[in-house]
Amino acid sequence: MKPEPARVVVVGGGPAGLSAALNAALSGASVLLIDSSSRLGGQYWRHLPETWLEQSELHLDLDTGLLLISAVANHPKIEIWSGAEIWSATHEDGAATLRLITNGVEKIITTKALVLATGAYDRTLPFPGWDIPGVMTPGGAQSLIKGNGIAVGKRVVVAGSGPFLLPVAAGLAQVGCEVIELLEANSPLRWLKSLPTLIQNLSKIGEAAHYIAIFNRFGVRPKFNRAVVAAHANQDGELESVSIAKIDSNFKIKKIERVKCDVAAIGWGFTADTSLAGALLLKQLVTKDEGVAVLVDENQESSIAGIFAAGEITGIGGSELSIAEGVIAGLAAAKYIGCKAEISNNHHKTRAKKQKFAKALISSYPVKSGWQSWLTDETIICRCEEVKYSKLKFAVTELGATDSRTAKLLSRCGMGMCQGRICGRFVVDLVANESGISPSDISEKERISVGNRPIITPISIELLANGE
Amino acid sequence: MQVLTLLVKPSASITFTFNDLEVSAIPGQSVGAALLAAGDRVLRVTRFEKKPRAMFCGIGVCFDCLVVIDGAPNQRACITEVKAKMVVRTQVGGA
Repeated sequence: MKPEPARVVVVGGGPAGLSAALNAALSGASVLLIDSSSRLGGQYWRHLPETWLEQSELHLDLDTGLLLISAVANHPKIEIWSGAEIWSATHEDGAATLRLITNGVEKIITTKALVLATGAYDRTLPFPGWDIPGVMTPGGAQSLIKGNGIAVGKRVVVAGSGPFLLPVAAGLAQVGCEVIELLEANSPLRWLKSLPTLIQNLSKIGEAAHYIAIFNRFGVRPKFNRAVVAAHANQDGELESVSIAKIDSNFKIKKIERVKCDVAAIGWGFTADTSLAGALLLKQLVTKDEGVAVLVDENQESSIAGIFAAGEITGIGGSELSIAEGVIAGLAAAKYIGCKAEISNNHHKTRAKKQKFAKALISSYPVKSGWQSWLTDETIICRCEEVKYSKLKFAVTELGATDSRTAKLLSRCGMGMCQGRICGRFVVDLVANESGISPSDISEKERISVGNRPIITPISIELLANGE
Repeated sequence: MQVLTLLVKPSASITFTFNDLEVSAIPGQSVGAALLAAGDRVLRVTRFEKKPRAMFCGIGVCFDCLVVIDGAPNQRACITEVKAKMVVRTQVGGA
């Protein structure tokens, strides 16, 4: 392999990746930006080419996205590979090697400076009927609006926990869906604890007020301490109704009612996509929401010199924090390959402020272990392999599994196409509970190992066989 | 199932087939979104229990929306951009 020219490679075209690519280029570095989507913007600024203008009122922050995307796309020092899937990543002798497929062709690149900005996806919890067509994630429902220009259904229930439910419910109402329920599992009192931090972020209060005005206009009445605990199918096997429960502060069911709907969009915050970081053996840590994040220093550099991380993979914190981190990561990566780049106090201050806000938010929306009581023996745990709860429990109680890796081998939970991206995180909790281990005693190693996948994205056998 | 409202007036429209029936789409849409807009939500039937599945994560993570496109199985309908004259079929089973 011939040596690559000195350049910064950025993975991910969302807020963090775009900011990193632009700032590295502005510092004089040549940049290669690799994105899995066909259009830049990530999940946050997902768009159809022709809907930019029509969407402006559905998206509070589209202007920033449009500016960043066009600045990156038009910068002479930035090369962009869209629709590229990285399936393998290694690090050796001070350089990272990425193998990827773009337009059906395999490419291999090496780089001394790498910025990972691979983002996050909706955190999900299983419940009876969550595999029925019509049950989906809030992110999925939103991507249909933003990226495809369609409303997901007619009568929609939005549920789960976290601030992301607000823009999703507002967006659905604005495009003509009847949002019949907007359910937050936690109590509004949790907000009070973080009030001082929230007040320091006035733009966020304005954002909340904007959504509340939309809810008033469309007659959406948010309810608290409620969750969708079961979904029911019609004779065609599609969603017909959901069971909505009033729940206590530990998420245990108090009282249930049935509501008819054709879509239920349910999410519990986000899970960072750490597959690439795991493959590169970057040090990771467990966050306050029991998620996993890449460990970085004050300049977004990971445990391996020359590999930087920014955005949701360093801890869920939203687009503004992602941008602040992306800027620093881009500058630091440029500096690493010898460009003149200055990371100032202001950069660090901006990031610290956004970090504080993100922390306050996460503690306002915990996921409590009572959700496990919603499951029945028949509930699907692993959607890919159709593994039922009874089979996972059998792996622990009868076959002796005490960690999620063994339980996975004995039950096939997490062995399907998604490689545990959906069930891995909550299988850890279910296995621990069945083994009598309290949630706070689950080891960091156990939680982190869930995201480790030798092959990052499923590829065909032929491609593997033809590889070097 | 009813046809869903389109949020944008497309300047162009293309057609493809799903299980031999013609479906129209806006350029730039995903296969899954175009099918949902046309009233086809179920994309796959599971391997063991033969249960219907549809788009779940919507962003290429969960692999629940697998379809057969132009003879190639295991294509994620939610992130595969629709192209004119594509031949799309329901997939039975996973990988």
